[in-house]
Amino acid sequence: MRGELREKLINLEVALRRKISLVVIVTFIAALAVVNNGCSHSGNPDVSGDDSVSFDVNDPKIKERLGEDDGYALAIMYGADIHGSLETCG
Amino acid sequence: MGGLARRVSYIKAFKNRSNTEVPTLLVDAGNLFSDDRFNATQLPAEVMTKNKWVVKGYGDFHHDAANISYLDLPYVGELLKKDGLDQRLDEYPFINRLVSANIHPLDDQHREPLPYVIREVTLKRGAPGQKVRVGIVGFSEAKPVGPNSFETSYAGFRIDDPFEAAKRVLPELKQKTDFIIALAYMDVGSAQRLASDNSEIDTVIGARQLSNMDDAQHFNRAAVAFAYNQTKYLGEMRVYFKGDGKPENQISRLIALDSNIPDDPFALETVTTAHSEFTNAQNASAQTAAIAHKPDALLSASDSPFAGVETCAGCHEKEYQIWTQSRHAHAMATLERKSQQFDNECVRCHVVGFQRGGFQSQLTTPQFANVQCEECHGPGKQHASNPSKGYGAVATPGACIQCHKQPNDPDFVFAVYWPKIQH
Repeated sequence: MRGELREKLINLEVALRRKISLVVIVTFIAALAVVNNGCSHSGNPDVSGDDSVSFDVNDPKIKERLGEDDGYALAIMYGADIHGSLETCG
Repeated sequence: MGGLARRVSYIKAFKNRSNTEVPTLLVDAGNLFSDDRFNATQLPAEVMTKNKWVVKGYGDFHHDAANISYLDLPYVGELLKKDGLDQRLDEYPFINRLVSANIHPLDDQHREPLPYVIREVTLKRGAPGQKVRVGIVGFSEAKPVGPNSFETSYAGFRIDDPFEAAKRVLPELKQKTDFIIALAYMDVGSAQRLASDNSEIDTVIGARQLSNMDDAQHFNRAAVAFAYNQTKYLGEMRVYFKGDGKPENQISRLIALDSNIPDDPFALETVTTAHSEFTNAQNASAQTAAIAHKPDALLSASDSPFAGVETCAGCHEKEYQIWTQSRHAHAMATLERKSQQFDNECVRCHVVGFQRGGFQSQLTTPQFANVQCEECHGPGKQHASNPSKGYGAVATPGACIQCHKQPNDPDFVFAVYWPKIQH
């Protein structure tokens, strides 16, 4: 009788430990998801791709456009007057 | 030249080259939305579509701020309506990066534009680890309506004196930031005055650049540079910092966004989708106009004062043959290669009689596509029905410069171009 009770208690403890482990794992995965994606998603998925380029930045024509890397610490890229057109006429 | 896909591609290459060590901000000095209302009082559906894609594209491709110019106000009025604003902000968060310190709504149905935004960057060069808070503030001149004459109320907004607004806003912004960029949609002299009158400003980015003027000018400690029209050349201001985290020097360049810069595939997808939606909207508008047969639309050949090149060829065969060999005769194909044949901003210089009773759209008036005889010589239907002398004199080069103006065709020289079509 006592042995049966002990076995039941052990089974209960094992089940409880499994549940706690599951909760810990789920919580950890959820925390990872929040860290990587942020708590509030804007509703606009990132369509810009990452910053990697699909062409050779060492191509002489591209290097000529990029100019020398002379130690600048901040860059401001600027434009104006697109007047509603994401693409120019030609 | 230019375009979002090349612009994004260059910036990615720029970051990649410096191993992403250099924080890079992207700003627009104004006139980013079309205000083309034609004869209507409201922006037509196709223009609304174009503008919507600019807000979306600028947001998706990480523009940090854009200045609201007087030209932007018809569409900004739609964006800042309090009714439905939360939903629009959720869909287009970039609305909160449209800045102006001197533009205010005339009614209480619209929200005030934000005067500035603040971006924080961490330096990895000059003063590694130093956090720099960058304030980006916008100013616009009022709408010019004549020589030295301006309209200060436009499209439901009041445009205050930008210099008074600067005196009010800049001390407050200086308290909150380490570096101030002023976006200035105004003439060159006024942009320079903005820098010289306000020592808080570190960088002024002006607009309306019509020629290559690469080097930044310096007033107080501010560098003043001007964006190139339509961003065919991308402006690049390099900022150098001392070890104590203070800016030391600024150097600007204009980078040609020509075919040497490949399109970014992600941005190209956005541009292509935008084209598709815009084309559908414009075709729908053209069909509606054709059905309604509006009296000012002059959509049928019988209503038009233009005769068309085939009619001219009946008597002027030699001139017609010269024309067929010229680029004028294939002007529409140039646009078709870039899928721009439906964009009125482009079409107006690739057809005959746009919005003057000639070309309306490919759907309704294809006979007026390409730069035909009457684009320079004037409407010729009356002349064709009763030929007589006195028709067709062209004042050159003034007539050519209507389209071959500096921003569209910086290489245009009349003496070089004229022999190509001489007749």
